[in-house]
Parts: sequence; structure tokens; C-alpha cells
Amino acid sequence: MSATVRVRALQAVSVLTLLGVWEAVVRLRLVDPLFVPAPSAVIRGFGAIAPTAMSALGDTLLKTAIAYVLAAVLGVTGGIVIGSVRSLHDTLHPFVGAVYGLPKILVLPWIVLMLGFGTAPAIAYGTIHGLFPILVLVMGAVRDVDRTLLTVARSYGARPWQVYVKVILPAIVPSVLASLRLGIVFCLLGVLIVEMFAGVRGMGSVMGGLANGFRAPELFAATGLVSVASIAIVLGLDHLNEKLSRWRG
Amino acid sequence: MTILAIRALILLAILALWEIAARVGNPLIYVPPSAALPALAELVRLRSYPDLPEHLLLTAQEIVVAYGLAVGGGLAVGFGLGLYRVLGRAYGPILAALYAVPSVVWYPSLMLFFGLDAASKIAFGFLLGFFPVTLAVLAGIRQVNAHLVTVARSFGASSVTVFTKVMVPGMLFTLMGGLRTGLALAVIGVIVGEILGSKSGMGSLINHAYGLFRTADYVALVIVTLVLIIASDAAASLVERRARRWTA
Amino acid sequence: MSAVELIRIEGVSKRYETTSGAVDAVRDVSLAVRRGEFCTIIGPSGCGKSTLLAMVGGLVQPDAGRVLIETQPVSGPDPKRVATVFQDPGLFPWRTAVENVEFGLEVQGVDGKRRRAVATELLGPLGLRRFAEKYPRELSGGMRQRVAIGRALAVDAQILLMDEPFGALDEQTRMLMGEWLLDIWRRTERTVIFVTHSLHEALALSSRVVVMTARPGRIKSVIELPYGYPRLMESAEIVTLRAKLWSEIRDESLRAMGEA
Repeated sequence: MSATVRVRALQAVSVLTLLGVWEAVVRLRLVDPLFVPAPSAVIRGFGAIAPTAMSALGDTLLKTAIAYVLAAVLGVTGGIVIGSVRSLHDTLHPFVGAVYGLPKILVLPWIVLMLGFGTAPAIAYGTIHGLFPILVLVMGAVRDVDRTLLTVARSYGARPWQVYVKVILPAIVPSVLASLRLGIVFCLLGVLIVEMFAGVRGMGSVMGGLANGFRAPELFAATGLVSVASIAIVLGLDHLNEKLSRWRG
Repeated sequence: MTILAIRALILLAILALWEIAARVGNPLIYVPPSAALPALAELVRLRSYPDLPEHLLLTAQEIVVAYGLAVGGGLAVGFGLGLYRVLGRAYGPILAALYAVPSVVWYPSLMLFFGLDAASKIAFGFLLGFFPVTLAVLAGIRQVNAHLVTVARSFGASSVTVFTKVMVPGMLFTLMGGLRTGLALAVIGVIVGEILGSKSGMGSLINHAYGLFRTADYVALVIVTLVLIIASDAAASLVERRARRWTA
Repeated sequence: MSAVELIRIEGVSKRYETTSGAVDAVRDVSLAVRRGEFCTIIGPSGCGKSTLLAMVGGLVQPDAGRVLIETQPVSGPDPKRVATVFQDPGLFPWRTAVENVEFGLEVQGVDGKRRRAVATELLGPLGLRRFAEKYPRELSGGMRQRVAIGRALAVDAQILLMDEPFGALDEQTRMLMGEWLLDIWRRTERTVIFVTHSLHEALALSSRVVVMTARPGRIKSVIELPYGYPRLMESAEIVTLRAKLWSEIRDESLRAMGEA
């Protein structure tokens, strides 16, 4: 048996065994089905909430998309500017690092105080959440551009803006793509957190409500739905990333 | 002007702007630093929240347990997947896929299962801290120089000896980084869990202050929590530096 | 096996499975190495010399044939009898020079004080006494290779296998290292099997030169060098031998290149 077949077989067997054992454990009443629903119940639960869940998912994804665009634009331009202007970088670098390292959840109650419940704080917080990883990564990428390349460009008489467009920007493309891939997970994360904390619509508040109502099968189904959506988005971005980076080999 | 001076100036400018903006805007929401400091004093003197130490201790305990579980689980899974090729190839992609899911989606299920007590916060902190440790172990194993393993074997080293004398020292640096990130994330997990719904711990106090519009107290509580977080990261970086000196 | 023979390679073959099909690295090679010899194996790239060495060192098992050391078949690495030095010194970056030298002894369970004593003493002839506490990144290429050789000498194995140990060094360093190695060899009376590309090294260092064909590697010819040390490289005998050696190798090199 070739290695790939063996791997796939192991994965399939593991997943099926897990589902089988899970179903059996619940059926045999070894765990309380109120807390741990059987896979079959989860599937039925999915059917029950599908319309609500899908529209909530759409709502969440829309907020995430807006937050993502804001975070990406601010993060990439900010990262390029701060990374390339030496004085800016040296003074601001520790501030950016400090804010990046600290849990932003601590300011969430304050944001909700300012902006109220609902869509606005979700987008604002989602943006902040996604902004910093992108900013830090792009800053780092600009700093890491090989000095030799810059020297070569200047020795051929390239003027500052040409150095930017012809050397720095192409050199940081892989890091920018990596940061954008990271950013979307963070934006989605931020939006979901706000929805759970102070949400009116969206998957976060739906899941919070299901948890409070002890509707375990529907909650598991909703969790599964968001997970699949998130994995799909990341895989999609990876695919796009590969297409754009084919020259790098 | 030195860079340090410029940074200090920026910090002062931010505080000044904050003060002015707060005076102009709704004082309930925009708490000026001048109001935050006395609130902090009240907090530290245990007047505004007399049982602050219990909550602080509980949060710290949750962090310690969550992190311990994350390290234990992370090392076990990391080495399991890293050293046994078949396991790594089968379950590695599944792990990577799970990592692409925003961790907070698991929290409502954890709350349903564990309730609002410490257990759900510990579980969430564990979930967050687990991934960086596992990934660091896998990355560390991958970057061990295979030639060094060959050299060790040519001197008759057994598999155990190869592991202890070649792999572990070779990957220690990467591993330390992962352990440090794991701590930072376990801390975030516990705090997010507390803020999203709990009966005790720093997060619950923050929620309490926010809910009653006691914004100055809220700011003070945030500051205390930040001190806890920074202290834990400083401790981690100290350990990291010690380890680095030992393996050079 | 006569009393003088230490290593006997009997009809070994080795095939590797690569992504582009099966490759015969070595086919039916037989060779006897005598005690105390400095036996050089020379040949074009890809002729299987490293594979042959790895089989003597027990790191690779032959598909056919066997290797005997003092009439015992080789089944795995035996650091008490065979020590290997590779082209990449393979020093552990987190250990100092002296800690690297004592590695083999450490694996064998020799106690700390004894192994530190052995290692420190070796540093003298290695010319590294002042660098005992330095880390590999603070040492030059030649120094690192000397540490690797010291590590191999420390385990006191009868046989020293060296796989292009000076390949990564510049020519001047190579020549100096060759002189130094000769000195060590004559002092310790080990048996050395030395793999190289360099004609100069083969002629300057060996008591016997084995020429291998291009892949699949077989033994093409064996040339004895019963001359004293240090070798007079401009003497008539050496010059003639060099021409002969080169003519043998040249064809094989061309064949190896053509194949690539």
C-alpha cells in the first residue's frame, strides 16, 4: 500500500471510529445527551436551524468582510509606511508591539459602551483585531528586505519612489500575502467575539443563545457550520496565494 | 533628541489628548486619566472591590492550570506526530485545519458543557495554548539537522540517546518560543472566557464594572489585569533566556 | 583472513530506489584492507565510494555480499572498532569543541572526568588547545574538521573512515590538513580508509590507492605506493604514478559526466 493510501485510510478510519464511538457512548447513556449530543442528533439539529444559521452566517461574514478590508488597507499601508521610514519605525515599533501583544478583549466593553450593541462595534473590533497582525508582519517584511537589493537599485540610479515600486513592493509580496491570510482569521475571530459579547445578529450571538438555551445538538451543528466556513475561506485564500506565487517555485 | 525622549513625548501627548477628549465628551464613557488614577488607587486599596485578591488569584490559577494542560497536551501530541511519520502525515493536516478555525467558536459549547465556572475558562485557555506548543514541537523537530543524527548513530547512539543528545538540544530554541507564545495565548483564552461569561475572576469584575457604567473602575481593573499579563510574559521571557544560555 | 588483513569486503552490492528508478551505487566490490594501511578510494562523482564507506561503517547494509572486520560481519555501527569522519564535520552547535570531542565517549558511558581528560589531551596534537571552550560557530572550517577528527580519534577505534573530510576546505588548508593527518596516522597506528576526489591527496597520503569505475561502482585498479613519508611529489616515481592514476580516472570521470 502506498504511503498516501495508508494516510488517507488512517484518517478515514480515525474519523469514522470517533463518530461511531461518540454515537455509541451517547446512546448507551454514558454521557448526558443534554451536554453531549450524538452525531445523529447534531445532523438533525442542523436541519432544524439551517435557515437561521445560514442567514446569521451571512451576517457574520459580511461584517468580517468589511472589517477585513479596513484592516488590510490600514495594516498594509501602515506597515509599509512605518517599516520604511526609519525614524517612524524606531519610535513607534515598541508601541505597536505592545498593543499587538496585549489582549484586545480588555477594551471590548469600552468599545461597546461607545458604539452600542450590534454591527458597529463588531466591525470596529474586528478591524482592530485583524489590523495588528497585518501591521506587524508587513512592518517586519519591509525591514527584512535584503539591503543588497536596495544598494544595487540605487547604484543603477533608481530614485526613491522607483526603489519602492521596483524593489521593496515586489520583495514583500509573499509576507503581505501571508499576513492577509492570517488577518482574515483574526477579523472573523474579532467579529464572533463581539457577537457573543454584545451581539444582536450573527453566528456569535446565535451560538451564545443556543448555549444559554441548552440546545446542544443545534449548537454543535452551528459550531460545525462556522468551522467549515472558516476552513473553506482559509483554503480559498491559500489557493489564491499559490496561484499568485507560482513564480517563486 | 534621543529616541527614548521622543517615545516619552508621544506617550505624554496621548495621555494629554485622552484627558482633553474625555473632558469634552461624555465623562461616563470617556474616562480621563485624571479620573482613572484615583480609581486605580481605590482598587488597590480594596475599597471599590474588596474581594479583588480572590478574583485575581482565581484568574491566575485558571491560567496556570490551562497552561499546564496546554504544555502537557502540546508536547505529547507534538512529539507523537513529529516522531512517528505515519501519525504526523495522517493527523497533521487535520491539526492544521483546526488551527484555521477561530478558537472562540468552541467557547459556547464549552460553556454549555462546563457551565460558567472555572472549568470552561481552563478548557478554553487550554485550547488556545495547545496549538502554539504543538506547532513549535513539530517545527523544532523538522529543523533538526539530519546529518547530526547520522553522526550520532555512527558513534553507536541508540534512538533514546539520539533524542536526548541531538534532537532536544537542537530544537530547544524553537520549543521555548512556542512555550512562550502558548502562555500568552492561554492567558488570552482564560480572560476572553471570563469576559464572555463567568461568575468570578478578573473578567467577571470587568463585566460588572462595565455593566454598571463604573467606567473609571473598569479602566482600573483593566490596568490591574494588564499588569498580571505583563508579569506572566516577563516571567516566561526570563525562563526563555535562562534556557538559551544553558544550551548556547 | 590473514593476520595482516583487518577489513574484508566481499562482493558487496547496493541498489537505491530513487524517484527516477533504481540506481546501482555499487556492484560486486571486493577488497581487503590491511592493518595499519592508509587506503585511499578515488573515483568520479557518484561512483559509490561514500556508499562503500558507509557499508564498512555499518550505516548502510549491502544488498549482496558482506563486510568482515577481524572476521566479524558488520551489522551496524560499531564505534569501538570503526569511527567515521564526514565531509560535513557535523559538530553539535550547542557543544564546545572539547564537549564535541568527548561525544563518542559520552555515548559509550565513559564517566565525565575520564572523558574530559581524554578529550583535553587530544586537543594538543589537534592544535586546538586554546579553543577548547569555543563553540563551532567561532571556529574556522579547518578547525571544525579537526574537532570532528578528534571526536573520531577519542573513541580509540582501530579503523578510521574518512569521507572526503577536506572537501569543503580551500586548497592551502587542505594541504596543511593532509600533512597533519599523516602525522596523526603515523603516531596512532590506525587503519585509515580515505575517500577523496583529489589526486594530490591520494598520492601524498596513501600507502595504497583503489580506483573505482563510474556508476555502478566497481574496482577498476589498485595501485600500491610503497614510498616513504613525507612524499617527494616531484620525484620520478610519483610523477609517473600521477599520470597513470589520472589516465585511469579520466575515462571514468568522462563516463560519469556523460551519464549526468
